[in-house]
Amino acid sequence: MKKRYWRCFICNDIHIGVKPPELCPTCNVVHAYVEITAREARTILGMLPEGADFGAQDFRTSIETFTEKNPFMVNPDRERVEGLIGGVLGNEASHGLKYCPCRLTTKVVEEDLKLVCPCNFTIHETYKGVEKGECWCSLFVKR
Amino acid sequence: MSKLIMFHGAECPHCRAMHPLVDRLEKEAGIVFERLEVWHNEKNADAMRSYRPLITAKCGGQLRVPTFINVEANDAFCGEMTYEKLKEWASK
Repeated sequence: MKKRYWRCFICNDIHIGVKPPELCPTCNVVHAYVEITAREARTILGMLPEGADFGAQDFRTSIETFTEKNPFMVNPDRERVEGLIGGVLGNEASHGLKYCPCRLTTKVVEEDLKLVCPCNFTIHETYKGVEKGECWCSLFVKR
Repeated sequence: MSKLIMFHGAECPHCRAMHPLVDRLEKEAGIVFERLEVWHNEKNADAMRSYRPLITAKCGGQLRVPTFINVEANDAFCGEMTYEKLKEWASK
C-alpha cells in the first residue's frame, strides 16, 4: 500500500503513512489529520527550524529511550557502542543519513532506507529466533 | 590462486575482529586478501556494489561487511568466522 502525507489541522504535525493517526500525539485531538501532498509536507518541514544534529550523547539517549519498552536494549559493551555510534554519526555526516556502519548503501532509495539506524533488525536472522540475538552491527541486543 | 577480496568498514566491529585473522592467514599460509574499505572510499564502495547479486544472495539480501569474495569460485561469505573456516574457504 502506498504511503501518503497527512497534516494535523490543529498543530501542524506531519505524518507519513498509509493512514493518519486517529489521535494526534501532540495535541490529543481525534480525527485531526488531513491528507496533503508530498510537496506540501516537504515545504512545511523545510520551514521548521533545522536544529542541531545529534551528537554522540544525544543519539545514545535517543536509542536508549527507544529501547526502554522493547524486548531489546543497547549493547552493554560501552566501548563497542561508542565505536558504532561514531560510525553511525560519521555516515550521517558523510552520506546524509544514520546508515549502519556494517552495511553499505546500494543507491536504491527503498533498500537504503532499510539501513538507517535503528533499522528493522528484529526480522534479521542474527536476531529473530536467536537466543542472544542482536542486530547485524551489534548495537542492539536482546534483553 | 584465486583473487580474494575483503570488503570492510572502518567502524565495523566485526571487520575489526577479522583483520587479525586475515593478517595471520597471509603470514602463515601466504593467502592474501585485497582489503577494500567501503565507507570512506567511494571507488571501493562501487567495487562492492558491482558484486551486489553475488553478495546479497549470500548475505541476507544486503551488502554487509565484512564480506569476503573469492572471485574465481564466484563465492561470497559475510560476517565473522574462525581462522580455520576462513582458511578452508579461501583455499577453495
